[in-house]
Amino acid sequence: MIKPRHPLIELRRLHRYFGTTRAVQDMSFEVYSGEVFGYIGPNGAGKTTSMRILATLDEPTAGDAFVDGFSVIDDPDRVRRRLGFMPDYFGTYQNVNVREYLDFFARAYGLRGHERKQAIGSVMEFTMLDKLAKKPIDGLSKGMKQRLCLGRTMIHDPAVLILDEPAAGLDPRARIELREMISQLATMGKAVLISSHILTELAEICDKVAIIETGRLLAVGTVDEISETSETSSHVRLRLLGNEQPMVDWFAKRNDISNVSVNVGLITLTHEGGQEAQALLLREVIEAGFQVVEFASKQKSLEDVFLHVTEGKIQ
Amino acid sequence: MSSSDLTTAEETVEPATTDRLDAVMRRGLEWLEAAVDRVNPIMVKETRQALKSRQFVLTFFLVLIACWITSFAVVAIVGPEVYYVAEGPTMLSFYFGILAFPLMLIVPYTAFRSLAVEQEDNTYELLSISALSTRQIITGKLGSAVVQMLVYLSAVSPCIAFTFLLRGVDTLTVALLLFYFMLTSLGLSMMALLAGTAARARYAQVILSVVLVLIFAYFLAGAIASSTMFILESYRFIRDPWFWIVNLAFLTAYATTFALVHSAAAAHIAFNSENRSSPMRWTMLVQQACFLGWVTVMLMAEGLRIFGDAAMFTLTVSAAYWYAMGAVLTSEWPYLSRRVQRSLPKSTLGEVFLTWLNPGPGTGYMFCIANFSFVAILAWALMFAMATSSGTTTSFFTEQFYVVVCWSYLVIFLGAGKLLIGLARRFIYVSLTAGVLLHVLLMLTAIGLPQILDYLAHPQQFRVEYSLLHISNPFWTLSLLANQSPSGFGATNPITLATLLIATALVVVLLNIRATWGEIQHQRQALPTRVAEEEAELHPTPESKPQSPWES
Ligand SMILES: Nc1ncnc2c1ncn2[C@@H]1O[C@H](COP(=O)(O)OP(=O)(O)OP(=O)(O)O)[C@@H](O)[C@H]1O
Ligand SMILES: [Mg+2]
Repeated sequence: MIKPRHPLIELRRLHRYFGTTRAVQDMSFEVYSGEVFGYIGPNGAGKTTSMRILATLDEPTAGDAFVDGFSVIDDPDRVRRRLGFMPDYFGTYQNVNVREYLDFFARAYGLRGHERKQAIGSVMEFTMLDKLAKKPIDGLSKGMKQRLCLGRTMIHDPAVLILDEPAAGLDPRARIELREMISQLATMGKAVLISSHILTELAEICDKVAIIETGRLLAVGTVDEISETSETSSHVRLRLLGNEQPMVDWFAKRNDISNVSVNVGLITLTHEGGQEAQALLLREVIEAGFQVVEFASKQKSLEDVFLHVTEGKIQ
Repeated sequence: MSSSDLTTAEETVEPATTDRLDAVMRRGLEWLEAAVDRVNPIMVKETRQALKSRQFVLTFFLVLIACWITSFAVVAIVGPEVYYVAEGPTMLSFYFGILAFPLMLIVPYTAFRSLAVEQEDNTYELLSISALSTRQIITGKLGSAVVQMLVYLSAVSPCIAFTFLLRGVDTLTVALLLFYFMLTSLGLSMMALLAGTAARARYAQVILSVVLVLIFAYFLAGAIASSTMFILESYRFIRDPWFWIVNLAFLTAYATTFALVHSAAAAHIAFNSENRSSPMRWTMLVQQACFLGWVTVMLMAEGLRIFGDAAMFTLTVSAAYWYAMGAVLTSEWPYLSRRVQRSLPKSTLGEVFLTWLNPGPGTGYMFCIANFSFVAILAWALMFAMATSSGTTTSFFTEQFYVVVCWSYLVIFLGAGKLLIGLARRFIYVSLTAGVLLHVLLMLTAIGLPQILDYLAHPQQFRVEYSLLHISNPFWTLSLLANQSPSGFGATNPITLATLLIATALVVVLLNIRATWGEIQHQRQALPTRVAEEEAELHPTPESKPQSPWES
């Protein structure tokens, strides 16, 4: 895929303070066409705040953000035409059905006549809302609303999509479908910024993720890059034949091992080093004459990576 | 179609005509769809919503039923004579009374609520980031108010048509009344929308809705009373040419004020970097031009005789107008956004004349002063013309005082208020509304403080005499001058008074020029390359456009 000269989304030293609360502090990153960019952080990390700034609903205290090269401060009108924003709430109208809802936003984005009908048709098909066309939107379930919300976001075929926790409230099947939809959007050449609390949820579909906390970027890169940098230690479980105490003493002399504990014959410890170092450790243990009956190392899950990178502070 | 072989000549015509009919129908539908496409999206959506809304349908039927009951009641009471006695006017005023209820109360209140509901249901943000401009949003809301008005009107119209069968009703009266009812309803809706855009917080919404309902109720009562009066007396007005001239003058005032309020409402919901002030300033210029135009018409009709009074009238109305507008303009934020700086005038000519239309309190102050000075000079010229033609200079002498003192007051109050706001902004955030409130506070202090001081000095005195202490009270001073009663000034010498005021005015202007200087130093900024690129893409420039002297 040919990358355009400029990124479709760019944050340039973005700051947003609410009084003394620093919701966003000095954030910079870029997202190019065809990329899905995951935005991960705990509650109050500043995800929604920065997304709202990108969607021209709020203004930065300092710094600027650009969508397709247009500043969100100076040219919000131009930004709006090429951006679809799916907020973490659903805006509902009384006495309106699914089709009319989409029709209204299609009109609001300046789609006319045949073009509009086509847009509504393809969006309803994409989000699988065809069968609900006549259903009043007040009566939709949470998952249906999420779909409709996504449909509304893409009605004007924007080049940039900003989705704030789109998977919240979806059942497992719907989550999988959502992931498929998002991957599909990326192959259509759109830049997608998507937020979530859960790294695992995004790991498969994101080309890049950013982990943020208290308004700061803690790590940016592909999921592998991030887990590599944080995967310096792992949990190891051992079971021996006979007395554990010599083993514990033997471990105590090594400086790559910590947190050794014994619990009903089961030794658990934390080992610094990658998988190769672990294989070496096992060989050394056996060569030292210990009778190992069980050796298991727990690979750090993405959850652990997330917990490792963030500190769980809430503003 | 194989059966066509068997058909008679008569029948073969039929498919052709139905085909043609079909084609016409299809073209008609296509045309209709294309027409609806051009209609404001908000209007389309809200009309759809209204038709499904229980509240709307209920009101519609209530109006309908009220009309029918009234009709039957009157017919039953009057009996068969209904066609002979002139009951038309009575019934007509009943119907207009019924119509006033939805038009003056329900439609404007719905307009106010419709913005609030968008905020409560979280749709407002979705709407604001769509491709609709803020003006389109306001126009759409107004449009759906008009649709509702028409629907309510359609409920009453059969009854109104019925009164034509009776005696004593003429078409012109009914048409005029309907027109003014719609106009009032539209104006109230516009006002309601402005209020809706201004008040975002919940408590403000609650207070405003109470105030608005009171205003609407006042207009409702007024509409009922004046329509009844007009139905009975219209024959007298309609023959008078002045009635029509006053109507036209009123309509220009209505249209220009409507445009101004529309811009203000749109400005309230526009994004921060947008130029929200210049369109309003242009509208003010137009409004002033219309006002002066109508004054000219009046002068031409009535001649030299009224020049003096006309001058005083024009000056006073203009002073009130520019004080109100100035209170808003001088409360604007003093920093120009980068977006606004892109559209600053480039040429020297443009800088001299158009800079004052740029946003900012300093330019706003100068804009108001310049406009009012223009009116003051015109007023003076009128007085001069009258004095020279009549040869009596006694009244001209005090009239001149009036002009000078009036001008000084405007310059002083707007300027001092602006300086005050500037000072306050060094320490705290002062919004536009807060700025206007500061202006009001300043005026109240200027009027009230001397009164209190006077009272403290002479507590036993019941009536306060004018003294130089009250120089800060523009209303008292000006009314004494207007009544041409130098005796009212007591011991105060009017010449001292005027000199003091002019001197203060000049000082205030000088102080403000210092503050304004920084504001007008901004140079036009080049378009960002990305914006220029897109502009070139969207609107490829025609080869050579004649250069206007205002640009280049
Ligand atoms: N309008 C506001 N006024 C004051 N503080 C705000 C406002 N909006 C957000 N904040 C603060 O900014 C910080 C970041 O909030 P934000 O909504 O961006 O977090 P988030 O990452 O979206 O969290 P969540 O996962 O819970 O949605 C929080 O501390 C929040 O309290
Ligand atoms: Mg959030």
